[in-house]
Amino acid sequence: MIRFSKVSVRYPNGTVGLDEVDLDIPDGQFVVVVGLSGAGKSTLVRSINGLVTTTSGELEVNGQRVDGASKRQLRRLRSRIGMVFQSFNLVTRTTVLRNVLVGRLHATPTWRSLLGWYRKEDVELAFQALERVGIVEKAYTRASQLSGGQRQRVAIARVLAQHPEVILADEPVASLDPPTANLVMRDLQRINRELGITTVVNLHFLDLARAYAQRIIGMRAGRIVFDGSPAEADDAVFTEIYGRSLTADDLLPDVDVELDDAEGPAG
Amino acid sequence: MTTAPPRSARPVRPRRSPLVGVVLIALVAVTIAAGLVIEFDLLPLVTRFTRGWSVISQFLLPDWAFLVRPSTVAALGTTLATAVVSTAVGAAIALVLSLLASRVTNRSGALYRVVKLLLSMVRSLPDIAWGLLFVAFVGVGAFAGTLALVMFNIGIIAKLTAETVDAVDPGPLEAADAAGANTAQRARVAVLPQILPGFASYTMYVFELNVRAATVLGMVGAGGIGNLLAIELARFNYDNLSALIVLLFVVVLLLDQLSGLLRRRLAR
Repeated sequence: MIRFSKVSVRYPNGTVGLDEVDLDIPDGQFVVVVGLSGAGKSTLVRSINGLVTTTSGELEVNGQRVDGASKRQLRRLRSRIGMVFQSFNLVTRTTVLRNVLVGRLHATPTWRSLLGWYRKEDVELAFQALERVGIVEKAYTRASQLSGGQRQRVAIARVLAQHPEVILADEPVASLDPPTANLVMRDLQRINRELGITTVVNLHFLDLARAYAQRIIGMRAGRIVFDGSPAEADDAVFTEIYGRSLTADDLLPDVDVELDDAEGPAG
Repeated sequence: MTTAPPRSARPVRPRRSPLVGVVLIALVAVTIAAGLVIEFDLLPLVTRFTRGWSVISQFLLPDWAFLVRPSTVAALGTTLATAVVSTAVGAAIALVLSLLASRVTNRSGALYRVVKLLLSMVRSLPDIAWGLLFVAFVGVGAFAGTLALVMFNIGIIAKLTAETVDAVDPGPLEAADAAGANTAQRARVAVLPQILPGFASYTMYVFELNVRAATVLGMVGAGGIGNLLAIELARFNYDNLSALIVLLFVVVLLLDQLSGLLRRRLAR
């Protein structure tokens, strides 16, 4: 259970990231957060593992308070929360396996990680995580040699190796082409269903959100302006979240809407 | 031709700061003044060229036999060994210090400032000064030269590597943080792989410098080929001296080529 009670985030430059947000996310839910850039969806997701520090309010993840946690408590909390990033955040100069093993650092003594001598059990966990995203054969390939979609799957494997209770994904498909974006979303959905891991994903686009979410949260100016099922997220909701109605300008001319033919960045 | 869009007002070109001109003039003035102080003049190169002819003519007849004497071979070995050992020791210490000299890998403000101060102190003494200092402490010989070069290497490698650490891609750091890694772990897994090529390249560059510097240090008492140079110079044995200089030239050139080749491969 993730619980926000009147949580606000104000950045040092005065920007309000979150404005008195109240939100409960029950265990095992697949939640997608949508909104414009700067609406606070990234702040919402990053406050859950303390990458963004809240200014007021109470924030609790599975019984552990995030606000006011010590460095040590925060590290322990983060070990239970996996995170997937827009730009994958892999160490490209090293192997896929070593990247996935980053997910085992929290359970590895410092001296072992300094020497690079991971336990056999941890290496096995990393292999299993790679198997789950279907690229175990790339284990000894340098991350720099992978495509964007493969990199994001390695990043998901890194998260799985953590054995997390919660997965956060901050714009996980924004750097990917539409077909690959769908593959990655399907991976996240499958993991949520098979392992029952609570998943919170940020997306730019309402259509992807409708396709994969159990619950959609729309944000605007640091506040939650929509909270409901994908079926309820109609065009009126789009207006509410994006501040205007969907017009012809939003649809590119001469673009095939069929996902398998579409090319170019997803946003 | 298509019709041009309606003409709008062009933006005014921003004025360059008058300070730029002032600084340029000051730089030229300082350079000229400095030349006057040391009476810098290229003319003597031509007018007094013949004066050195008797010396130079002896240089033109190198005594190659001098190079195969056991003492010469041993001296060259000492100089190269000094360069190798000081590079290895200096680079190892510098790697640790460079991680402590960047905010990225050292989150303790106090320790960061101490290490920064230490490194600028290490850099403020030239290698010759370190050489004289260590000769005074541990006596004449290759050990003093090695210690002096270690200090010289720490100064250069730690500074360059710390700057590389500052510039690493922050993405992997964020990922390590989000996975619950501690500061040492994230330095190892997220920073080290990113800086290793740069670090290796700086180390090889410093090795090139060390072969030359070890020679010069030898002239102030740190043993090796430099020591030999000083002795032959004092005895006016120009034939031996010129053979030594040719030898040094060839050795340094070969090592430079080798390390340049390796560094280019690393840069991939």
